[in-house]
Amino acid sequence: MSAIYKRDLRAYFTSPVGYVFIAAFLFVMNLVFFLMNMLTGENRLTTCYTIMLYAMMVLVPILTMRTFSEDYKQKTDQLLLTSPVKPAGIVMGKFLAAYTVFVITLALMLVQVIIIAAMSTPNAAIIVGNYIALLSAAAVYISIGCFVSSLTENQLVANIATLAINVTLFLLDFAYDLVNVGWIKQILYWISIYRRFNTFYVGVFSVADFVFYLCVSAVFLFLTVRVLEKKRWS
Amino acid sequence: MIEVSNLTKTYGKKRGIDRLSFTIGDGEIVGFLGPNGAGKSTTMNIISGYLSASSGAARIGGIDILEDPVAAKRQIGYLPEQPPLYLDMTVAEYLDFIFDLKVPAGELKRSAHIEEICELVGLKEHYTRVIRNLSKGYKQRVGLAQALIGNPEVLILDEPTVGLDPKQIIEIRNVIKGLGKNRTIILSTHILQEVSAICERVLVINNGQIVADDKPENLSSMITGDRKLTVRVAGPRDSVRKILRSIEGVRFADVTVQAEKGSYDFLVEARPNVDIRKPMFAALAKAGYPILQLKSMDLSLEDIFLKLVEEKKKQRDPHNKAPKKVPGEVALNVSGGEESAQEAYASPEPPEQSEEEAVSPAAEGKEEEI
Ligand SMILES: Nc1ncnc2c1ncn2[C@@H]1O[C@H](COP(=O)(O)OP(=O)(O)OP(=O)(O)O)[C@@H](O)[C@H]1O
Ligand SMILES: [Mg+2]
Repeated sequence: MSAIYKRDLRAYFTSPVGYVFIAAFLFVMNLVFFLMNMLTGENRLTTCYTIMLYAMMVLVPILTMRTFSEDYKQKTDQLLLTSPVKPAGIVMGKFLAAYTVFVITLALMLVQVIIIAAMSTPNAAIIVGNYIALLSAAAVYISIGCFVSSLTENQLVANIATLAINVTLFLLDFAYDLVNVGWIKQILYWISIYRRFNTFYVGVFSVADFVFYLCVSAVFLFLTVRVLEKKRWS
Repeated sequence: MIEVSNLTKTYGKKRGIDRLSFTIGDGEIVGFLGPNGAGKSTTMNIISGYLSASSGAARIGGIDILEDPVAAKRQIGYLPEQPPLYLDMTVAEYLDFIFDLKVPAGELKRSAHIEEICELVGLKEHYTRVIRNLSKGYKQRVGLAQALIGNPEVLILDEPTVGLDPKQIIEIRNVIKGLGKNRTIILSTHILQEVSAICERVLVINNGQIVADDKPENLSSMITGDRKLTVRVAGPRDSVRKILRSIEGVRFADVTVQAEKGSYDFLVEARPNVDIRKPMFAALAKAGYPILQLKSMDLSLEDIFLKLVEEKKKQRDPHNKAPKKVPGEVALNVSGGEESAQEAYASPEPPEQSEEEAVSPAAEGKEEEI
């Protein structure tokens, strides 16, 4: 697993993908930070980070589109799947590599926190809450992206399909507000991904919500493992 | 070391391989020989754990590939049909990665091991180059190096010499032969000369079934039961022919073409297990007709299939000769003939196809048999 993790992480930075992701992300987020915080003098990062969620929805597919698709394309999946590594190890290696790139990006965003802290005294709990929320959200997005990438050898298809799934999940939240049938509302409430971020954003650490995110990513990673195992029976 | 029993793989309705069974002992070098689409790659993919069979089992060193895939895979080095290379890495980085992937920590000394392998497959000068920029032959070598990392006991090499130039082919064949001294190797090819050059045993696969399982030498003699030679002799055509036919052990002799002015090429067929070269030399020398050239005519892969498929048919229904059906089916079976013939030409010991066309000995042999 660690071999695959190292190689994939390295590959993000020997190809433009890692840089493009980080640059696009930082550009968008610093622009938002400038508009929402610098211009207004607002010292809470919550609005800014809510928008980050949308940025992730669009940008994370760039990060994950290659995870498996590229291996299928250049037939290196044949190498990985005939090496003495379990499919779960392959999936975890690739997932963690993508996740690491995201964590690096997020670490670079700490500059904003430093700026805010230098100019005022922000609420530390809210900032920590925001970061936990973002890290959990990233796990969900990246695991969805890995899963979709494991289904196709075409990176573009993987990218667009992941985006479509993310947007659909996002729209489910709107549906929650619109639907009035009790049990549908209940289901939507339960599977809603975005709603759960709110508790983190106000600086409350909700174990239930955190576990929910872990479970969602675990489910998608498990499905990815199944896809790899199923491939043999094609 | 490798046991395969009743392996079947169906792709949709199509059978990739059909109830394949064989055992390969420790230290054997076995060649899979077969035309395009015969099922060689499919079989190798199943043994190496990339694909699962629809039914049947494959065991490596006594371990079922489905029951304990990790332990089974640890024993295998696999070079797939298309070398699985990360093109954006240098050779050094790539082999380093493979080492991490396959070798348990502390089992081998990394740099010494990788260096040894690079030396063996001739990659030393290309060690720091990006794989994308290597020529096809060198990419193939990186693929081979990859399979060797971790000193696996079993090597599975799918067409290891495809795309190499004749000099490299010989080099790589020698490397494989050397490796086979303390390893079990399976390799696939459509080139007959390749199995003769490397393997101790050959499994001929056609349409997903084993058609023959024998030593390469026996294979050609089993098929023809005799040796064919082309000999170029300077001398009058009729008297040379007469001399050739009078030699003890000659079954057939005739002119194929006029090669140069005053000399002719003859096709000479000997009876089984008779070496007629010495008596032929003596007879012609005595008559004062010098031999300008002497070549033994190896059968091409197409001839072998023709014969094997026919023989199988005969075994199955000895009463029904169906002479008209045979050629059509043969043509189907050897649909990849053109390509493999070209590859055979590219190999360093090209078969004598030009002469063959002149007399078509294969066809002749067939007529005699029927
Ligand atoms: N993924 C697949 N889907 C459908 N059919 C397949 C697939 N892979 C192989 N086949 C079929 O299975 C048969 C055996 O293919 P295989 O690749 O094993 O042949 P091969 O002996 O390796 O041929 P070649 O010499 O061309 O490499 C062929 O008829 C092929 O069309
Ligand atoms: Mg093949």
